[in-house]
Amino acid sequence: MIKDVGYLEILKTNPGTSIQDQGRIGLAKWGIPISGVMDRRSYNWINHLLKNDPDAAVLEIPQPGFKCRFDSYTTIGVAGANAEIRKNGELISSTVIRIQPGDELEIGKFLSGSIVYLGIAQGFQTQKILTSRSLYLGITASKMLTKGDEIPFFTNQSFGEATFSSAKKNTSWFENEVLEVYPGPDFEELPKEIQNRLLDSRFTISTLANRMAFQLEELLPNSISERLTAPVYPGTVQLTSGGKIIILMRDAQVTGGYPRILQFSEDALSIVSQKKVGQQIQFQLKNLPNIE
Amino acid sequence: MKPKLRQISPVLIELFWDEKPNDILLNHLLSWENAIFSQFGSEVIEVRKGFQTLSCVLKNDLKQSNLKAWQCFVETSIDLSPLPTKLWEIPVCYDPELGKDLISLSKSLSLDIQKLITLHTEQTYRIHFFGFLPGFMYLNGLDPALHFPRKSIPDRKIEPGSVAIGGSQTGIYPTESPGGWHVIGKTPITLFDQNLNPPVFAKPGEQIRFIPISREEFEQLSTDPKPIKSHD
Repeated sequence: MIKDVGYLEILKTNPGTSIQDQGRIGLAKWGIPISGVMDRRSYNWINHLLKNDPDAAVLEIPQPGFKCRFDSYTTIGVAGANAEIRKNGELISSTVIRIQPGDELEIGKFLSGSIVYLGIAQGFQTQKILTSRSLYLGITASKMLTKGDEIPFFTNQSFGEATFSSAKKNTSWFENEVLEVYPGPDFEELPKEIQNRLLDSRFTISTLANRMAFQLEELLPNSISERLTAPVYPGTVQLTSGGKIIILMRDAQVTGGYPRILQFSEDALSIVSQKKVGQQIQFQLKNLPNIE
Repeated sequence: MKPKLRQISPVLIELFWDEKPNDILLNHLLSWENAIFSQFGSEVIEVRKGFQTLSCVLKNDLKQSNLKAWQCFVETSIDLSPLPTKLWEIPVCYDPELGKDLISLSKSLSLDIQKLITLHTEQTYRIHFFGFLPGFMYLNGLDPALHFPRKSIPDRKIEPGSVAIGGSQTGIYPTESPGGWHVIGKTPITLFDQNLNPPVFAKPGEQIRFIPISREEFEQLSTDPKPIKSHD
């Protein structure tokens, strides 16, 4: 296979655009967060559609107002939030898009969802640091991409003739407000009444939502004392001493001291990633087999 | 000192000890970690450590039959391998310019600065695990006379190498970060280098000691780094 390098140049972007893949798996022993894409479901789907390796790197675009230009032939795919996509100024609806040298792609208004994924045949080819291309400040030089950045990929003109399935994007799942969770190690420490309140109420995504954590607007009274530092994961729900509910996301620290009251299922984590500030969620407890 | 088993999700299972963190508990944790890898190595992606916890990430959803195997496993007794004896010497400059909370903390603790430095450097600290930031060591052994609550409003920016006290703990910020601990000094050494494998020099179970250095030595080691000293 020909492996000539082409570049995607960022002409315009709002803050937060980054390169992501599956993240740094198994490096928590050195305090390294896993990082990786926020919405794994959309990521897996676009790489599957592009016949990529499951860990191929994509662009994660959390805000409208993104524009880029390609200098070589390739095929790209757009997943995640439903957004207005324009190629060379023309609105397009296909998921898989053939690209010729000089083509410009624009991601406009988000109609539903909050993160767009831009995948590319064979994945983006930026440098891997500690097993991953995911941007994370302190490990990579920067945490986000900016105007003028040039992102390498492998170009191949024959992609133009390859057939890709024209599967229609299904995003109805990110309208789901009911999120499947498991009881966290400290769930049983909550008084019954508070447990019920946690499971019966609806909670709102606050403006404090980023790749590290989503804080919820509503408070929950907390009578559990702070814990000795213990491992946490993306999808761990913490309850702070002030009663704030925090859902840890992909860039979360690997350990924490707040009580761990819930743990998201993998799919619930993808769903919540696509929620916007002000949207509501509800937890649905799923029990695990009992440990004697 | 048997661990309690708790399942957190289909792919997360945790061993928990309701014990005070000390060398004995750490010895158990590290020995159990080895036992997990020899018993379930092919099923486990990673084991994360906390003070009282070993948390295992599994490759596949845990089935009822495997849960039984884990339950039997935590009931067995394992051989304890002794803690490592390696001791690392971390040079620290306790200068109020580099440790911007040194003066205020000494006042709050009613200790003069020299006494505070002596209490901080006399102790040997045990590395329990890495967490919080890449390369951040959770250390046990801070003299109770130096325990002091974290700041209620964290500082926006703490520089890499800052040596600080927060609650009953002391630690070194490996990378720039916001933080609520009281900074009392700074080390010129690099604690985390993403271009090295491993990116950290020490391992859980090993010990460290803070060695006071002058401002001149600090500047010299900053421009011309020397290998970090250790004893076995």
